[in-house]
Amino acid sequence: MASKIRQAGWYRALAFTILGIAVCIGLSTGLRAAFGLNPVYDGTAVLQISLLMVPIFFLGGIGCFDYWLRWASGRKVVDDHADHGAKSWKDYFKVNTDHKVIGIQYICVSFFFMFVGGLMAMLVRAELAAPGRQFVDPNTYNGLFSVHATLLIFLFVIPVFAGIANYVLPLMIGAPDMAFPRLNALSFWMLPLAGVMMLLSFLAPGGSFAAGWTAYAPLSVDAPIGQAFFTIAVQFAGASSIATALNFLVTIITMRAPGMTFFRMPLLVWANFSTSLLVVIATPFIAASQFMVLLDRALGFNFFNPAGGGDVLMYQHVFWFYSHPAVYIMMLPGFGIISEVLATRARKPVFGYRMMAFSLLAIVLLGFTVWAHHMFVSGMPNWVRIPMMATTAIIAIPTGIKIFSWVATLWRGVLKMDTPMLWATGFIAMFTLGGISGVMLAMVPLDIHVSDTYFIVAHIHYVLFGGSLFTIFAGIYFWFPKMTGRMFNEKLGKIHFWLTFVFFNLTFAPMHLIGVQGMPRRVSDYAEQFATWNMIISISSFILGLSSLLFLYNMVASWRSGPKASSNPWNSLTIEWQVSSPPPIFNFDTIPSVVGGPYEYGVPGAVHAIVGDPAKDLVPAGAGATEGHS
Amino acid sequence: MEAAAIPAPAAQDDHHHGPPVANQSSRVNSEVLGILLFIISEIMLFGAFFAAYFFIRVVNADGWPPGAGLPVAVAATNAAILLSSSVTMHWTDVSAKRGNQAGMRIGIVTTFLLGCTFLFIQINEYLHLGFTPKTSASASVFFGLTGLHGAHVIIGLLLLWMSAVRIFKGKVGPANYKGLEVPGIYWHFVDAMWIVVFTTIYVL
Repeated sequence: MASKIRQAGWYRALAFTILGIAVCIGLSTGLRAAFGLNPVYDGTAVLQISLLMVPIFFLGGIGCFDYWLRWASGRKVVDDHADHGAKSWKDYFKVNTDHKVIGIQYICVSFFFMFVGGLMAMLVRAELAAPGRQFVDPNTYNGLFSVHATLLIFLFVIPVFAGIANYVLPLMIGAPDMAFPRLNALSFWMLPLAGVMMLLSFLAPGGSFAAGWTAYAPLSVDAPIGQAFFTIAVQFAGASSIATALNFLVTIITMRAPGMTFFRMPLLVWANFSTSLLVVIATPFIAASQFMVLLDRALGFNFFNPAGGGDVLMYQHVFWFYSHPAVYIMMLPGFGIISEVLATRARKPVFGYRMMAFSLLAIVLLGFTVWAHHMFVSGMPNWVRIPMMATTAIIAIPTGIKIFSWVATLWRGVLKMDTPMLWATGFIAMFTLGGISGVMLAMVPLDIHVSDTYFIVAHIHYVLFGGSLFTIFAGIYFWFPKMTGRMFNEKLGKIHFWLTFVFFNLTFAPMHLIGVQGMPRRVSDYAEQFATWNMIISISSFILGLSSLLFLYNMVASWRSGPKASSNPWNSLTIEWQVSSPPPIFNFDTIPSVVGGPYEYGVPGAVHAIVGDPAKDLVPAGAGATEGHS
Repeated sequence: MEAAAIPAPAAQDDHHHGPPVANQSSRVNSEVLGILLFIISEIMLFGAFFAAYFFIRVVNADGWPPGAGLPVAVAATNAAILLSSSVTMHWTDVSAKRGNQAGMRIGIVTTFLLGCTFLFIQINEYLHLGFTPKTSASASVFFGLTGLHGAHVIIGLLLLWMSAVRIFKGKVGPANYKGLEVPGIYWHFVDAMWIVVFTTIYVL
């Protein structure tokens, strides 16, 4: 037992967690005694300090810091790769430095939270099936939609993209791993902590956090203690995504294979490069906004207290300066996935490759200039609305470049309409609809009319469900053979797509109508006149929810006993498909050499990269000696 | 033919006991690039607090300075202390590159002590200001910005402590000074940020 506690792992994590709680109680009472506060023991204070510090103790216990602490104390550290790669399923529950293991960990954890968050959406729809009160009281209802949105944004869409990229990106650029494998592990382990913290808020006195995922001050400052769970969990999710983004940027910049110039990188790599720039620059703003809320809540600061001279609108400015770029953080990696799938399944080069890359960077830049379009009715100075309307409409240009380039990629291609391709083409249609309602919302007069109605709910689900989630499904189906070494059930995949596609539209399209008619969002009750549509929406949403079980079954069953996948089932050119499925533990024996563009489909004899030992496989003996460190 | 023609290496290669050496595709060292990107992130964190400063002092016109007045002379002295620690940090770096063990040791200890002095003076200033964050929004902004900077000084000191331990164990030298260079870059950032905080809070 004692040796188990000394070793990094779950036993030590449990011991450290208990130790952490004890330290927090001691710290809180000690400080309160030192400042002469009465009573010395204050449950709220202990809880807030614990939320901040206990996760760090847990991370120490599970073993995220062991190597660094050994190194920092000047002891000998050995890179024996003992924690690299998974030999059994148990290794997925340990700190691991292999980007492939971390990618799977990310994907599984975020899909777990997708199902939990989706279940909350089902409860929301059950409550809204008819006017009046059905199942939950208004406060619980507020908590349900708040946690639903927060989980799906911070614990699903953002991290699942990080997971897919974690798995695929180093392989794509011909790197043996990420630049900082231990930081990568730490980024992952912060994530489930944030998710568990958000779920634990339901146990807090006064209920879970219920101020929406936007958590506007001063509501979030005055709300019951459940709100602190949001405030602090977002810090961990944010730290996790900043660390991952930094890792991606350094990996892409410093670890590309010889010959892999920026304009030979697959667009998925470009997309994650752009996303990571957004994350590194924007995410500190939400961290700051939540720090300020926490300081107001816990220590009586006056940032958002009008009586003390604070500025309530300032919260919205700081929050949206992150959260508008965040919608691109939740979309750009999906753009990358779609480019990969379309080119491979249409057997054509991506149309306008360079413009695709530049439009990503344009979205990054423009994404920072539009934040106040979320605040047209907030009471900010009226003149600010006009430039924000203009910049928002301008974003449609780079996004339009992408949509038209994808359509042009399909033009006269040899389309193979299998599951990943269905999701990709479905994405183009749905995201275009979501984009069009987005441009409508950029127009100040229309926005004033539909602010806080179901039109907004419809728009956000068309871009995040019809947009991001469709790209996630496309990506998961596309790389499933690479990640697991097995093929998924094609028939079930197609049924999953058509069920989702039809019932997604039946769920969210009517929301445009009832939104324009004035049904307010974030309210658990509504007027009689919306009853019919809401019943239709609720029934559709239940079928939509059930269709995801088909996906779950397909993934689990195929992973266990699907037919073996070949190394390159899609006949793709990019590097990750040139190694075995799943890839070898260190990805490559020797670093591949890149000799051409990534999408030269239809060009006879085109090769993107030479993978494997060139001396043995392709090049005459003796010519392989110069390979490697150019 | 397409890429499918290229044979993929047969399944897992078990006799291989380590990753291939990654290709270095940029002249920038990965650790240095990592800390620079982290510093960009940190600058944005300060940027958000400066946004709060802007909204509360300029847009909302809550009275500035908070309280009866800020001890500018004390803060200026403190700025000088922190800046001189940047000089000693640089000296430590140079000593490491030249393999000057004594220089490294004196340099890192001096830097560390100067950082501690800064923190000590800052806390002492807090205790004698005559206002608290609860007093007003301007006071909150004052404590928010200087406190955020103070927290970064603490992080910087922790990093310097690690470097110091490694220096005194003889682990740092001309061939191996990344573990000193990276905390050094961070320390310079903490110092430079103080100039900005000092100017906006105390001078303007």
